[in-house]
Amino acid sequence: MTIYSLYIYDRHCTCVYYHDWHRTRRPKPAVERGILPAVSQAVVAPAAETNSSTFTIYSSPRNTLTSASGVVVAVNEMNAQSTVSPLLQAPPSPVGISSTGLSFDEEVKLVYGVVLSLRNMIKKLSGRDEQFLNYRTSAYKLHLFETLSGYKFVMLSDPGTESLRFVLRQIYVGPFLEYVVRNPLVNMDSKEYGIDNEYFRTSVDRMIRGSSFFP
Amino acid sequence: MAIFGLWVINKAGGLVYQRSFADGLAQLTSNEYLVLAGTLHGIHAITSRLSPIPGQSSGAQVIEGETFKISVLLTLTGTKFILLTSPAEPASSIDVLLQKIYTTYAEKVMQNPFHTPEMPIRSEAFDVSLGALIS
Repeated sequence: MTIYSLYIYDRHCTCVYYHDWHRTRRPKPAVERGILPAVSQAVVAPAAETNSSTFTIYSSPRNTLTSASGVVVAVNEMNAQSTVSPLLQAPPSPVGISSTGLSFDEEVKLVYGVVLSLRNMIKKLSGRDEQFLNYRTSAYKLHLFETLSGYKFVMLSDPGTESLRFVLRQIYVGPFLEYVVRNPLVNMDSKEYGIDNEYFRTSVDRMIRGSSFFP
Repeated sequence: MAIFGLWVINKAGGLVYQRSFADGLAQLTSNEYLVLAGTLHGIHAITSRLSPIPGQSSGAQVIEGETFKISVLLTLTGTKFILLTSPAEPASSIDVLLQKIYTTYAEKVMQNPFHTPEMPIRSEAFDVSLGALIS
């Protein structure tokens, strides 16, 4: 049983978080400004990253040892990027593997559209206030868990998996409440930022990798 | 363990046959069924594009809700057979039933010289043999 990826959407219908594990088709980087900052470092357009790498050591706020006369006394080797944990950095993209053909922001919107349409269809068909749980194709299975506040947790796994709804619920009850809702620095309901932060990402990663169905 | 309904959708996405068997789902007008069938046709196409692994993915084959599930059989000609059942029905028996429905469709509808392909199905023989199959 393999888990491929996790998306979290807020009530404004935008993707606020993305995490992937075994996904062999790398998502193509998003069109610049197509996604909010702080969703996932892995899919930020490369132009943004080259900009930040041109920050020299002289402009790093941690560097207090250069002198104004041009003679460098001691140089802080660390640049601003090194404080980012390894998980937040973009994984190296494998050579020659094609993605779904869509850029990340288009793919994210398609996933949301499918989830929303299926949810409405199931509500209409049953006539009651019924939840859409999951759907399966020959290649993957998509699981949905929706909270009362409108947050939708979407997970893609291989088709043989049983319902992963309880796993999504555990992610909500554990890392999400702990490191996002109760985190005063995370702006949850904004339309400009995602909810990516180091604690949330590492605890979600630890939870999924440590669970019994992750190879 | 019940079968709630059967829809047949042509390759353009239009509903050509709809029938309810057991109660359990809401009663909708025929217009609403048409809209839902078109939506499902579109969703089926999109789900085959969202695959996270390389290689071909089929469209959605099983869609589960809390009190019912939707099973889809996509034939080589683009016709979709949609079966709405209770969630407890085992997947193997649903697949067998969908194949039998497809066979009945080939016999009673396609071999009928007065039936226009991709048009709504108005065939008493099809209705009768479906009733025998599902009950």
